[in-house]
Amino acid sequence: MRSSFFVNEALGSLRRNWVMTIAAVLTVFISMAILGFVLVIDRNLNQGATSLKNRVMIEVFLKDTATPEQVSAMESRIEAMPEVKGTPVYISKDQALEEFKQRLGPNAANILQNLSTNPLPASFRIYVEDPQQVDTVAARFFNDPIVDNTPGTHDGVRYAQQTVRKMLGTISLVEKGMWVATIIFAAAAILLISTTVRLSIFARRREIEIMRLVGATNWFIRWPFVVEGFITGLLGSIVAALGVFLVNWTIYNWVHNSSVNFLGVMVYPVWIQGGRWPLGLLPTLALLGAALGSVGSVVALRRYLRV
Amino acid sequence: MIVFENVSKVYDGGVVGAQGIDLHIAKGEFAFLVGASGSGKTTLIKLILKELDPTDGRILVAGRNLNTLRRSKVPLLRRNIGCVFQDFKLLPNKTVYENVAYALEVVGEPRRSIRRKVPEILNLVGLGEKTNSLPSEISGGEQQRVSVARAFVNHPPLLLADEPTGNIDPDTSVGLMQLLLRINRTGTTVLCATHDRDMVDRMRKRVLALDVGRLVRDERRGVYDSEV
Repeated sequence: MRSSFFVNEALGSLRRNWVMTIAAVLTVFISMAILGFVLVIDRNLNQGATSLKNRVMIEVFLKDTATPEQVSAMESRIEAMPEVKGTPVYISKDQALEEFKQRLGPNAANILQNLSTNPLPASFRIYVEDPQQVDTVAARFFNDPIVDNTPGTHDGVRYAQQTVRKMLGTISLVEKGMWVATIIFAAAAILLISTTVRLSIFARRREIEIMRLVGATNWFIRWPFVVEGFITGLLGSIVAALGVFLVNWTIYNWVHNSSVNFLGVMVYPVWIQGGRWPLGLLPTLALLGAALGSVGSVVALRRYLRV
Repeated sequence: MIVFENVSKVYDGGVVGAQGIDLHIAKGEFAFLVGASGSGKTTLIKLILKELDPTDGRILVAGRNLNTLRRSKVPLLRRNIGCVFQDFKLLPNKTVYENVAYALEVVGEPRRSIRRKVPEILNLVGLGEKTNSLPSEISGGEQQRVSVARAFVNHPPLLLADEPTGNIDPDTSVGLMQLLLRINRTGTTVLCATHDRDMVDRMRKRVLALDVGRLVRDERRGVYDSEV
């Protein structure tokens, strides 16, 4: 097969039918941009949820009177709990003070020089596999003798509040909604692109008829159209991917450089590498557009190539 | 070259395009196919190109049995048949040169031989000066000669012409017929469906007359209307 001939045919016809080309590129651009935004929002939510889940942590504060034996006994008890993720992190009194200093920043020295003793308790930080199990795990420390509770309360055990867990619930609901939206928008993109391809091929059905009459095989007729669809799809979706990237990048910068960040709003930069997408979200988007364009051409050609 | 054995074609809806046609056209013959509109001339041509399948009967073209010819082999059949149509069927976006070259690209002809053969055939049909014109920029007669050039550039054993002079003036038609005759003299079988009474009467070639799908007359050196 003479590939340069097919590429030249495709480029020539893209140039000659430039109005149709622009229409098709725009269609791909719009459908892929919408699909891209849905995917990026989904990905942001996903990462946000993941980091929230990671923050669902139980802190157990220990009395200063606890002996090292009691502490290590507690550590092995925690490790044995099936709900716990990894090993618990032990924060000694000194470490707690160090962390506190860091959080205070440059003024730490002034404030802390007046302290004669270290008032901060040692603690265990425990992460659980499933945020829903936080209550169960936390309750096990309520009446532990070495936990630093104010008598009559459980304030020696600190764990994720109801709000955080409600938020997680909401996010998981929104995530399910995003899946539905993704499917709908993907279907819309496919339909829109295939309609455009079909229109442009319909406009050239006479040409196809002539090709068949002079004895062109079906693949000989198909290849230029496939190359054309590929180029159109690639162009449209590269522009869409760039658009999605730029918008996300702008929002990311805006959030990180402004007071909105204070509210804990999360926007994650998307780039070549990306979670569930083996090639990264944006290259996948671009290739998807190109594939849609070329497969769309083959499908749309079918009825004209029936001998 | 072409053999029809008791061929019938009934379209969906009951319209008869061909009815019990027996026909034998030998290699190197020149034959006219005449008849009123709707008499089945185009049906016959489409049957030869396997654009249509017969409802009944057997068709052989260039040694191939069209009844058993696989769909995937149809392009190969068509490369052995040059076609000229009333409406020229040129690719509107390609130049004269590219239109003719396309027929060679299709068969995978090497680029160098395309560059040699196309100007050669364009000179033969008298269009050596117009190679870079688009079909819309040349006259109907010239367009028809481009389509003849495209049909003949492969030197196919068979050339079909479906009312080739239908859209061009009488003087130009004479030139075109002479062109077809010259092609015929190289050994190519020519089957020409036409309404052009003068042309048929002047050429005195074999005449096949159709009427409502039936072959009603087959004369060796015939004229348009029956002499009886």
